[in-house]
Amino acid sequence: MDAIRTEALTKHYRVGFWRPRPYVALDALTLRVGRGDVFGFLGPNGAGKTTTLKLLLQLIYPTSGRADVLGRPVGDVDVRRRIGYLPENPCFYDYLTAEELLEYFASLFGYGPAERRRRVAALLDEVGIGAERRLQLRKFSKGMLQRVGIAQAVINDPEVVFFDEPMSGLDPLGRREIRELVLRMRDRGATVFFSSHVLSDAEALCSRVAILAHGRLVGSGALSDMAAFQVRGWELVVNNLTPAALEHARSLGRIARADALGGSRYALELPLSTPPERILADLAAHGAQPVSLNPLRETLEDFYLRHIAAAPTDRGLGAA
Amino acid sequence: MRRADLKVGPYIVVLLFGGVVALQALHERNGGPPASTSANLLYLRSPEAVERLALSYDSLLADVYWIRTVQHYGGTKLSTDPNKQYDLLYPLLDLTTSLDPRFNVAYYFGAVFLAEPFPGGPGRPDLAIALLEKGLRAQPEKWEFAQAIGFVHYWWLEDYEEAAAWFTRASAFPNAPIWMTPLAATTLAQGGNRQSSRLLWEQFARTAEDEWFRTEARRRLVQLDALDDIDRLRGAAAAFEQRYGAPPMAWSDLQGAGLLRGTPVDPTGTPYRLDAGAITVDPGSPLHPLPTEPARLR
Amino acid sequence: MRIIGHVALNVFKESVRDKVLYNLVVFAVLLIAVSYLLGQLTAGQDVKIIKDLGLAAIATFGLLIAVFIGIGLVWKEVERRSIYSLLSKPIRRHEFVLGKYAGLGLTLLVNVAIMTVAFYAVLAYMNTQFPENVRAAWPAPATDPGMLRAVALVFVELLLVTAIALFFSTFSGPFLAAALTFGLWIIGHFNADLRNFEAVVDSRAAAYAARALYYVLPNFAAFDVKTQVVYALPVPASYVAMTALYGVVYIAMLLTGSVMIFARRDFK
Repeated sequence: MDAIRTEALTKHYRVGFWRPRPYVALDALTLRVGRGDVFGFLGPNGAGKTTTLKLLLQLIYPTSGRADVLGRPVGDVDVRRRIGYLPENPCFYDYLTAEELLEYFASLFGYGPAERRRRVAALLDEVGIGAERRLQLRKFSKGMLQRVGIAQAVINDPEVVFFDEPMSGLDPLGRREIRELVLRMRDRGATVFFSSHVLSDAEALCSRVAILAHGRLVGSGALSDMAAFQVRGWELVVNNLTPAALEHARSLGRIARADALGGSRYALELPLSTPPERILADLAAHGAQPVSLNPLRETLEDFYLRHIAAAPTDRGLGAA
Repeated sequence: MRRADLKVGPYIVVLLFGGVVALQALHERNGGPPASTSANLLYLRSPEAVERLALSYDSLLADVYWIRTVQHYGGTKLSTDPNKQYDLLYPLLDLTTSLDPRFNVAYYFGAVFLAEPFPGGPGRPDLAIALLEKGLRAQPEKWEFAQAIGFVHYWWLEDYEEAAAWFTRASAFPNAPIWMTPLAATTLAQGGNRQSSRLLWEQFARTAEDEWFRTEARRRLVQLDALDDIDRLRGAAAAFEQRYGAPPMAWSDLQGAGLLRGTPVDPTGTPYRLDAGAITVDPGSPLHPLPTEPARLR
Repeated sequence: MRIIGHVALNVFKESVRDKVLYNLVVFAVLLIAVSYLLGQLTAGQDVKIIKDLGLAAIATFGLLIAVFIGIGLVWKEVERRSIYSLLSKPIRRHEFVLGKYAGLGLTLLVNVAIMTVAFYAVLAYMNTQFPENVRAAWPAPATDPGMLRAVALVFVELLLVTAIALFFSTFSGPFLAAALTFGLWIIGHFNADLRNFEAVVDSRAAAYAARALYYVLPNFAAFDVKTQVVYALPVPASYVAMTALYGVVYIAMLLTGSVMIFARRDFK
């Protein structure tokens, strides 16, 4: 059984006050997410990621198509006992403290008072909220609220958890903590479905991704299998590279581009034609010291730009 | 909420809606909230205070008080309670005309009904005149108010000199109709005559600016016709009594004696009542009660 | 039911944290100040005036709470998007709506109860300030328990106002919802005029329309027996029961409508 399954899921909004016309927020999305996957749902802002998540939680009703979570239609209350959701830029009752908010949400799952206290205390520790847990949420920063949001999303040890832009508003330390939390959830066997417009988040975590642009699915699969993200060269940074050695390598056609970084330090772009170890060995023989070697591939941003340029910009029904 | 639950929603709403209407009907059948004393119905009797509290809504509030006036008068008139009182009629009219001094129908309404004796009205011609004089102060150009004051003196106070004096005053208004001068003269010469009453009401029926007042004047004229009828029937009854030594007990007695053909009906088609020799309009007739005529006519 | 209770308690907590109960302080100060001033000014009608004022203040404070919190119950959650995380929990949408309603009902109950206790306390004190022969002339004792009937009907009226506010707020913004709720409240108090409208209009159609509105619009005038209880006029228990039943049926209709609208809504 798939954790999440959608069939031609479509959502039209009516926009405009006087003469409402349909706007295609999501166009026939068909998707499968296996259990235990960490699934990245990628796309630029306005691509339809949040719309999809809201459809999966029945915050909005689809125009057509269907969606199942854990084998049951979305909206089934029993399914909601087994899932969690972090909305984009979450916002909560600012008159409650973090502790009270989580207790309230825990009570909706039917946990008794002792169980509630245990879960809330453990979760707040896990997301790194200390003494602030006794403060009203109106005093919380955006990053702190994001942590509270993550805590409320996993308060019931969900089997499937939906994170809408979980990294937004977090500093680098916070981002790392979230990554660790996602990996811990995966290790527990949970399915994590998260949306992001940042490729590196996905690369670090995801087994599979889907990419959305203009409400349509434009690519899906394992990142490593996707043609658009194949390695198209290497970037090598070296120290102590003599001009002679550089000329020599260049003459052999082993260097596509060289940028001086100051002193005898260079960033070199290597073509795929020669294995990078050979070039490296060659340069090292000339006294150069390697600093780093990284694969070069298309960024998500490049990918979007190509698709946005290719896709029709009118999302009215007429064009669809 | 599942989709299935949603389907029964409209039926539940319709059902509950029926309940709301039924309970409201029951509420009305039981006569609304338990009666409070009438003095409490009107929280503020001072027109000045109401005017201040009305802010910029005085016209609107005048309309509300006008509606209450009509309700109060109509409700009291229809009430079968022998102790009924029209005690709010004047305060309500006073409030209405203070909030909107050009609310002319209120003055006429007061002129007719404040003076009307119990049970048709509170029998306060003095208040009717006070209200009309207030109207005249607010709109000094209205000869109709002066005419109406004369009318109250004529019809209810039976003071024909004062009535003629007011008609004369009315005739002096710049836009007064020309018949006002002969009206004053007739009143002085033969006040209390039913014919001059008819003349007075005919003028109202023809010239009153308000449809309601014209209708009322026409009704009064028909009542005068009914009074003529009753006079004739009384003549017949008197003849009967003279012949048989006892008053007629039913119209059939008069018919048997050849004094009457058929059952007499008033101008609205309702049969007259013959009760132990006394002849009146039926209480169910729209003409009931007939005006009490000035004494000189009886 | 359990879920509705949790939502309701949260609404109550919110109103306490948002200092709604401060109105009780204002109420108490108002009553005490007026009774003190009356003592300085006049004699005779003091207790009646306190009764009039106290009952009117209970109704008015309650009305303000019912309307201004009522319109925010649903709207605020949607506007601040706190509803997103809440509805992803195992809670049905009708449980959310009914819980919100019950929460404000609880807030109103606590408010009205405390105001009523304060009201009777002031009256009990006033009672000690008059000699026996003056008290004998009053139409009702100062702490006449019969006034509770008026308070009970005021409470049902407030619950009805809340249901109206909640209903409007499920599909419109707060300003429109407040205007519509206040509008209905005012029209509902002029209900008797609507019934007798036909006496003053010539048009049959207008008369029928007024009659129809008389049956359809909430009859708030029926809930007002404040004057009667102050004068100790009889307000039969059957009248209180019938009027309360009318209120309850009307509330049930509005809540069903609110739930239906809310269940179909998209939270964009």
